[in-house]
Amino acid sequence: MKKAVLFALCLVFLLTGAIGLQAQDKLKVGFIYVGPIGDMGWTHAHEVARRIVEDTFPWVETVYQESVPEAKVEGVIDRMVRRERCAVVFTTSFGFWEGTVAAAKKYPDTIFAHCSGFMRAPNLATYMADFYQIYYLNGLMAGALTKSNKVGYVGAFPIPEVKRHINAFTMGVREVNPKAEVHVRWIEAWFDPAKAKEATNSLIDAGCDVFAFTEDSDTVVQVAAENRMPVFGHYSPMYNSAPDYVVSGQLVHWENFYLDFLSKVHAGYYTSKNLENVDYWDLLKEGSVEVGAKFGMPVNPKWKSRLGKTYDLVMERIAQMSDFQMVFDPFTGPIYSRKGAVVVPVGVRANYGHLLSLEYAVKGVVGSWPGEPK
Amino acid sequence: MEWQLWVIETLRRALVYGTPILLGTLGEIYAERSGILNLGVEGMMILGAFVGFTTAFVTKNPWLGFLAGAFVGGAASLLHGFLSIHLRVIQVVSGLALTLFGLGLTGVLGRGWEGQPLKASIAELSVPGLSRIPVLGPILFTDQNLLVYIGIGLAVLLWWVLFKTSWGITVRSVGEDPRTADALGINVALVRYCCTFIGGLLAGLGGAYLSIVYRPSWTQGMTAGMGWIVIALTIFSLWHPLVAIGGSYAFGSLFYLSFRLQPWVAPELLTIMPYLFTILAPLLLHASRRLRRRMGAPGALGLPYRREEE
Repeated sequence: MKKAVLFALCLVFLLTGAIGLQAQDKLKVGFIYVGPIGDMGWTHAHEVARRIVEDTFPWVETVYQESVPEAKVEGVIDRMVRRERCAVVFTTSFGFWEGTVAAAKKYPDTIFAHCSGFMRAPNLATYMADFYQIYYLNGLMAGALTKSNKVGYVGAFPIPEVKRHINAFTMGVREVNPKAEVHVRWIEAWFDPAKAKEATNSLIDAGCDVFAFTEDSDTVVQVAAENRMPVFGHYSPMYNSAPDYVVSGQLVHWENFYLDFLSKVHAGYYTSKNLENVDYWDLLKEGSVEVGAKFGMPVNPKWKSRLGKTYDLVMERIAQMSDFQMVFDPFTGPIYSRKGAVVVPVGVRANYGHLLSLEYAVKGVVGSWPGEPK
Repeated sequence: MEWQLWVIETLRRALVYGTPILLGTLGEIYAERSGILNLGVEGMMILGAFVGFTTAFVTKNPWLGFLAGAFVGGAASLLHGFLSIHLRVIQVVSGLALTLFGLGLTGVLGRGWEGQPLKASIAELSVPGLSRIPVLGPILFTDQNLLVYIGIGLAVLLWWVLFKTSWGITVRSVGEDPRTADALGINVALVRYCCTFIGGLLAGLGGAYLSIVYRPSWTQGMTAGMGWIVIALTIFSLWHPLVAIGGSYAFGSLFYLSFRLQPWVAPELLTIMPYLFTILAPLLLHASRRLRRRMGAPGALGLPYRREEE
């Protein structure tokens, strides 16, 4: 009896040891999300990418934690590094930056990458897939579709990222339709269906007839569809929410970044010593963002004929911006703010720093604009 | 006329957005009138929203959805009732637990339902004839949904029951002084269970309205704090069903205006406007002497009742 127990124990030890060894062969990667993975926006898109990473690389094992409050990220990182033994940790919200920077100091041998951040360290990279070119393309279509010359935009928070997108969108609208205006309503929330709904209704009452937005649900799409008005989806493929009214939208391929980054870690090209200058700023040409009502459908076929010549322009611009040389970019001067100032001079292309800290509103934007420069 | 259009647009939206708030508030008024403080409104609403949505989705019948949503809200409220009436747990704690429970459970169960559009919503209807009344017609009788009328009707009915029937007196006396009520032979626990259940039914119905009518789809956390507005409005309404109509639609108007007025007023200021209203309104009401006498909360609100011999 005793022998049997001893044997069983030995077996257990051996097996767990073997499992442990096997696990160590894999690169363990932790993902920290700010929202629930079931939202229709940001966190969901990262989660889709995480699953693709796990399916693509047999040598990667992933763990994730969703709905992490921004102040509590450090504790979650502690757990991922110490208990889960993660070699790479991705923190996917701007608000995680303080916690991520502190953790990078505390665990110098762990590789960190912080999404949408700007602080880097030898073991801390930053990455972002930005939509401004996509918003510009959506703007071209919106400009062609509006009959009232008023396009509605429901914005989350008046921060540089959202302002950049609204400006890009407005430049698109005005390129096709110089008389059109973009009316903006802020809801001061990333996710709030009720606010998004009433903001959209207020835009309809103000005379808008085409819509784009920044909010993590498909509310704006629903309200626009109820009123039989064209709309552009945000972040998730929203074609299925209203197949007759979603003209196009902004889509992301975060896996594009994750696959690239992790394969470089796997190859030993990225280590915990050389990430100081690693900053991904992915646009159309990197393939991390896509214009479309859903993946592979840049323009809803139902709307193609209504777009007329603009359809060809959109296709041309997609090709230009997808080109490795990026022969076109919407943020090319001259760009005037609505206060009349020249914000980007003739012939100059706005650089990364300019785009990241942008506060002005371009000509054609209507509505309050907190933090607008004098 | 420009201003007429503004009034019409604002009140139309106020009715649509204010209805779930009104339903929840009416329910909470009953619970609190009987002495039960239920901070679980948010939880009951989200449970009602989720179950209402899934039921309407599967059966393709929105009315079954409303029924199921209300019933689930009621069932959840009985949980709070059991804890606070039977076990005499601190009501604040058990109500908060219910809110967290509802939000958490629906978050987990709702994963697969996210983003699926509900085809089986109820139709908007116009009342022939009445819709041609100037101002009032376009607000109340053009393309409105039936639940708006049900909400107002329920408010009147519940007011009548609470203030014009003997059962209403029973409810109020249990909330004011359960000991005396008990001495008069009233079954305090039963009355409180009934009122808590009514509160749950209406909160669940309000939640189902959100996911079936207001925004026909399910999203995690879609009540987004509406349950807390309900609790504030219960106080604002002086625990009176008819005042609740005004309170809910005033809140709805401000909510809409906080977007409509944005081109002229700073958005930060506007977003706090409806919430500021729920804080300031009771204070202003308190300043009126006549109202102050009527205003006091039910005497035994939040206090568990225990018979002396026990």
